[in-house]
Amino acid sequence: MSANTYYDVDLSQNLTKNRFIGLMRVMKGYRVLYLGAIIALAIAATARTGIYLVLRRFIDEIVVPRNFGSDMILIIGLYIGMALLQGTFTFISGWLAARVAEGTTRRLRNFLYDHLQRLPYAYHAEAKTGDLISRATSDIDAVNRFFADQAIGIGRIILIFVINFIAIMQLHPRLAWTSVIAIPAIIAVSLFFFSRVSKAYEAYQEQEATLSNRLQENLTGVRVVKAFARQGYESYKFDQENWHKFSLGRRLLSIESLFWPISDIICGAQLLASYFTGAIMALNGEITVGTYMAFIALVIWIIWPMRNLGRLIVQTSTGMVSYKRVAELLEEKREPLLEGDYQPDGDLGGEIVFKDVSFEYEPGQLVLNKVNFSCSPGAVIALLGSTGSGKTTLVNLLPRFYDPTAGLITLDGVDITRYPRKYLRSQIGIVEQEPFLFSRSIRENITYGVHRQVSEEEIVQAAQFAAIHDVILEFPKGYDTLVGERGVTLSGGQKQRLAIARAVLKNPRILILDDSTSSVDTETEMHIRAALERLMQTRTTFIIAHRIQSVMDADLILVFDRGEIVQLGTHQQLMQTSGMYQDIFNIQTRIELELEKEISGVNI
Amino acid sequence: MSTFDEFEEKDYGKLSTPILRRLLLLLKPHWRWVAGFLLSIALVSVIDAYTTYLSSQIIDEGIRAGSRDAIVRIILIYGGVMLFQALLSFSFIYLTGVLGERVRYDMRKQMFNHLQSLSLSYFSKTPVGWIMARLTSDTERLAELITWGLLDITWAIVNIATAAVFMFIINANLAVIVLAMLPFLAIVAYQFRIRILYHYRLSRKMNSKITGAFNEGITGVRVIKALSREDANLAEFSELTDGMYNASYRAAWLSALFLPTVQLISAFVLGFVLWRGGLQVEIGMITVGGIQAFVSYVTFIMWPIQDMARVYAQMQNAVASAERIFHLIDTEPVVKNRARTITAETLSGDIRFEDVHFHYESDDPVIKGLTFHVNQGDTVALVGPTGGGKTTIVNLLCRFYEPTSGAIYLNNIDYLDMKLEDIQSRIGMVLQTPHLFSGSISENIRYGRLNATDEDIEDAAKMAGAHDFIMTFEKGYQQDVGEGGNLLSVGQKQLISIARAILAQPELFIMDEATSSVDTLTETLIQRGMEQLMTGRTSFVIAHRLSTIKRANKIIVIEDGQIHEMGTHRELINLKGKYYNLYTRQFRQELEAQYDVFTQ
Repeated sequence: MSANTYYDVDLSQNLTKNRFIGLMRVMKGYRVLYLGAIIALAIAATARTGIYLVLRRFIDEIVVPRNFGSDMILIIGLYIGMALLQGTFTFISGWLAARVAEGTTRRLRNFLYDHLQRLPYAYHAEAKTGDLISRATSDIDAVNRFFADQAIGIGRIILIFVINFIAIMQLHPRLAWTSVIAIPAIIAVSLFFFSRVSKAYEAYQEQEATLSNRLQENLTGVRVVKAFARQGYESYKFDQENWHKFSLGRRLLSIESLFWPISDIICGAQLLASYFTGAIMALNGEITVGTYMAFIALVIWIIWPMRNLGRLIVQTSTGMVSYKRVAELLEEKREPLLEGDYQPDGDLGGEIVFKDVSFEYEPGQLVLNKVNFSCSPGAVIALLGSTGSGKTTLVNLLPRFYDPTAGLITLDGVDITRYPRKYLRSQIGIVEQEPFLFSRSIRENITYGVHRQVSEEEIVQAAQFAAIHDVILEFPKGYDTLVGERGVTLSGGQKQRLAIARAVLKNPRILILDDSTSSVDTETEMHIRAALERLMQTRTTFIIAHRIQSVMDADLILVFDRGEIVQLGTHQQLMQTSGMYQDIFNIQTRIELELEKEISGVNI
Repeated sequence: MSTFDEFEEKDYGKLSTPILRRLLLLLKPHWRWVAGFLLSIALVSVIDAYTTYLSSQIIDEGIRAGSRDAIVRIILIYGGVMLFQALLSFSFIYLTGVLGERVRYDMRKQMFNHLQSLSLSYFSKTPVGWIMARLTSDTERLAELITWGLLDITWAIVNIATAAVFMFIINANLAVIVLAMLPFLAIVAYQFRIRILYHYRLSRKMNSKITGAFNEGITGVRVIKALSREDANLAEFSELTDGMYNASYRAAWLSALFLPTVQLISAFVLGFVLWRGGLQVEIGMITVGGIQAFVSYVTFIMWPIQDMARVYAQMQNAVASAERIFHLIDTEPVVKNRARTITAETLSGDIRFEDVHFHYESDDPVIKGLTFHVNQGDTVALVGPTGGGKTTIVNLLCRFYEPTSGAIYLNNIDYLDMKLEDIQSRIGMVLQTPHLFSGSISENIRYGRLNATDEDIEDAAKMAGAHDFIMTFEKGYQQDVGEGGNLLSVGQKQLISIARAILAQPELFIMDEATSSVDTLTETLIQRGMEQLMTGRTSFVIAHRLSTIKRANKIIVIEDGQIHEMGTHRELINLKGKYYNLYTRQFRQELEAQYDVFTQ
């Protein structure tokens, strides 16, 4: 895969089962910075420890011997220098960690976004949107927190502990050893509580989601609520969930409000034991007063941060689980868009041949069975058949959303698998019955997918061609009108015509139309039909049709039944042989007769 | 579109007296809890400052004075004080936390109940997401401010005050130096906080845009692939992640700069204190322990200062949240009972619309002068293109909206004189996209009449033709319907909503027929269920099915807010106008579906 400016590393390579190693690999290119952050952290922690050692000298060499000369200024200068060093490196550490965390997250987001849009269509047809989105958003946020807070936080606590422990060892080994007696207990207690806190928190969050759903249901069902005058009942139901959330919150708080005092007591006991040992040693002259003062300042830094270790360790496990969920997406293989060895120099002709093409989504379940037909450039091919008979599957093979499981499709005499997908798709225009529109302006929706600068004139021409220009001008903001959730809602017919305008600008050689009757009025249907006919000229066109009227002029009609072509030919040819086509035609003629009868029957 | 601007959220609000008053009112019912946690945190804060003082006493009275007894005594006092403080910690965490939950509960309850009283027009112009944000993130922010925010501020103020007292006890001169730096420290801390918060909020906004982009990229993947839009999409997406990167990176490095800066300022002050203090030891003004105490006070005074800065910065956001919440609570329902109402015994009787007009915006009329008369027991079919005003007519009839001019008479009474509850509790409604609530089938049917017995529910389901498919479920009537009824098919949802309407025994029945096709069997069942509901009741149907339309006593063709044609099926067919076109089109479509031309 070629590197691009949005992510410089292929994160789908070298995936590993080990989540921690996996997270380290995500950091590729940033590892030196991260190491820098940790070194800066160590320097800052050492400087802080240094501050207290300077303080010790201040007491022992200045205050106690009452030696207030130039030495005092020197030591105070040293003190401020240490503070400066500590401040600078604390900042450098935080700054580097932020660069690493935000940089890796940005790259991961870009990579995942691109990865998702380049996964084969077959993957998306199966996947659940909500699940993909939650992995792409909340799981990536969790990975970000792992780098930004948790990993660096654990590093900080351990470094601070080690450095201060060594410093106290220097002061006096006995002080050091008596100060860590309770540390295992502190870590154990915090692990114990936080694993419970995180469970209680999950329950609380789940209830939050339930409550939101309750609210949303009430808001979206407001007409039902009002129609049955059920406001009181709704309040009662909401209150139950609301109260349940309150109870869960109370439970969460009981655990938390127990943890802090209990850990306070353990830490406090350790602190006092250290104070006592130090004070007695100072009293006996084993250590100086300055040493004692430095010691009581340092010992704080090896005891209190330990309380947070449990929380951070519990939280990293969520970061790891999230990484695993992201990695599962990364494992999926992308669809190679540029793979292929053939691309014509001039324009594509549009001659298409299907030879014994079969397709199955799952082995053993044929959706297309040995489909054979051929068409000349510019021909109109109509696909007729019931839902699920294989029409949509067939047109999905043309842009290579899927590849046939057996058989061969050729375009201008060349196997279509030899064309790069990107080229192939640039030559195919699809107009669906109710196309997906993006929540941006109408103008952007029309030019979406046109890979060149498009002038205003061209856009207007395309819209006029698609018979949608007048509709657009009726909106207060015209072509700048937003479509979708935060903008106007377009009808099915209007969406379809926007897709036609889009296809006009794209100017493809091959056209795929879904001509199902959507719920539009007669006049609109006429407009759409006219626009489609103009669009079909000079392009090889596949029409998915449901009615005879829309296929009668086709050069080739394929009648589908259960994945097979049961009949093919022109309207005239098919009308002369008995078979499904004739049956369909007869039914539709009968319908017209019945309609006449019905209308004239009204007055009898 | 400009109409959405009012839903843009500002994140800055000024604390005014009325808002403060209302915030305090929220706490008033729980004043004992508030008093409890404020007292606890104040004591915790005093003890914090006191233990620092005790440490210095160990040095002066113990080590320096050479008294082992003093050391033991002070350590014991220290231990006792710490135990007491642990107890207080428990009390303030529990009290504050639970109070916070309680305030959240209260506010959500108040807002939800108020929402129930608001008119339909409020919901049609307010996005669901906007309302939901009031009950979630805004509530969260507000509750946080008036509980933990209040706690932090109290802790900070008491902490600084107590530390100041102890510092003055130890040495007044040095205390003045330390206190003089506080305003400066506070300003620096506040400036940092407000910027960090700004970038943080910016990153949250970018985050929701990124979620939106993922959503669109995934749901629109087919179009993206067909148009080979991948490269352009990635370029656009990377603009979002760049924005996100910039915002969160700035927030992070500002945070990284913040503490060291504050620490450095205190280090300079401390250096000054040491210098002055050293000189004062010489003249016996301060002890070694005293210097140690000052080192601690100055080192730790940045915490309360930075807490105050944080809460102050967050307060502006929370006040903006409070303004939005109060705005919601203060919204008056547009449709409500008049001062004097008539108690209507029944709605049965003729219905008259007299020159009814309706508009949301005065320059954009939706209904333009409707006049018609419906006899008791008749069925009215409303037909016409989407957006023509059919749904609005039904909403007017239910008094979800009220006419902007003209009048609607139910049983010869102007319905504005009736009680809303009297009207709405007597109407049965089946919607086009049937809305079910999560829960069991039985619960959903019971929605029609809350005190109905299980037999009543089964009877209603039988009449609606829903009983048979319900019994095919493993749990029968106790089967879960899923969120919004998603585990059922559209046809099944429709049948259940018909059963729900039957159970309600309405006097007026309104149906918005589904456009989407369901299988023939279900269709027949739905038709029968509707017949059950229509017999003997005045009914309004927004009709799409020919059989429904033909059965109606009166067909009204609505287009562009006006009546274009009105009459019986026969009269309108003979007109050969709009109805004729509509009917022939529909006839073809239905027959095609009926013959199911492809699967013979």
